[in-house]
Amino acid sequence: MNCSAVSLWRDGVSKYLKYITAKANNMKVFIIIPCYNESANIAMVINNVKNYGTVVVVDDGSTDNSWQIAENQGIKVIKHLVNRGQGAALETGDNYAISQGADIVVHFDADGQHLPSEIPKLIQPIITNDADVVLGSRFLFLADTKENRIPFIKKWLILKPAIIFQNLLLRIKLTDAHNGFRALTKKALERIKITQDGMAHASEIIEQILKNNLRYIEVPVTIRYYEFGQGLFSGFKIIRDLLIGKINKD
Amino acid sequence: MNYLPLQVIISLFVVIVVFRLTKKYKDKTFKFSEFFGWLIIWLIVLFVFWLPQTTSYLAIFLGVGRGVDLAVYLAVILIFYLIFRLYLKIDKQQKEITKIVRHIAVNETKDTQDRRSKTEDLRPKI
Repeated sequence: MNCSAVSLWRDGVSKYLKYITAKANNMKVFIIIPCYNESANIAMVINNVKNYGTVVVVDDGSTDNSWQIAENQGIKVIKHLVNRGQGAALETGDNYAISQGADIVVHFDADGQHLPSEIPKLIQPIITNDADVVLGSRFLFLADTKENRIPFIKKWLILKPAIIFQNLLLRIKLTDAHNGFRALTKKALERIKITQDGMAHASEIIEQILKNNLRYIEVPVTIRYYEFGQGLFSGFKIIRDLLIGKINKD
Repeated sequence: MNYLPLQVIISLFVVIVVFRLTKKYKDKTFKFSEFFGWLIIWLIVLFVFWLPQTTSYLAIFLGVGRGVDLAVYLAVILIFYLIFRLYLKIDKQQKEITKIVRHIAVNETKDTQDRRSKTEDLRPKI
């Protein structure tokens, strides 16, 4: 009796897994990597990510040979003539992905901060139709290992205030802000238009998720810190951009 | 009549500016509203320089001590307003530049793709 219940359960699980894999195989996953002067890391990042979907690198007017290195990896490279910022590059990538019939778009950083092996985990809620947008969170149930540790200043002077600011402003409860690792469905992409060219796009995306009543979910991800990322004052720039964006709508 | 030299210089300057304004209006580079607005501003300048005591009446009416103070306050407000306008305008132009850059980027990519007409396997391997 017990044994048959287990086998029944196993059967169900394997059927479900088969269903999920079949569905996943039919979905076009595009991985958008905005890139600005990342010649040191871009090849490695592309090669690590390649197996998880169609890679599109948006070269944001790099002054080094990043785009050439990217193109040599045999992937699609979209080139901005001049530097327009990460938000602008992501929107370009999104537009391109939609035009190519993408079902899922993953935003991935070019500096190797994100783990490619976490992409399946990130798109899982979309495949199972539990969410339209999946946001990576570095604060969600992560073991306090050395690899997961966030630099002290970054954590308490930038990230935590940013999260509090975001949650108060948007009346939302998220555990992370400005995490560039996220996955979106085609439906979400069609509704979310990034107008913030700079780093404020992360807040803008969350704002638009709420505005469009999209289903979102947070998934714990690992962020590796090689260096200091955005500086201490970039937070103020983001706030300024957001306020100006509020006033200056087209 | 202590102001005389300055008054003459300013008057000449305003005459030149108004002359250029009318020329621009005749050339149709300025709309009537623009022409009229600028004309009023420069006439006010002329008026204030020839009858500076009028600003004092206005200043007292508005609760500011002296006419000169009022002029400085108004100038500062005007400058800040113009900076704000410029800021918004630059922001808008930045967005327009982004649109153009994006358009070129995506179109170029599509062109090269059409030329290659390569069929890629777009499915993820999970």
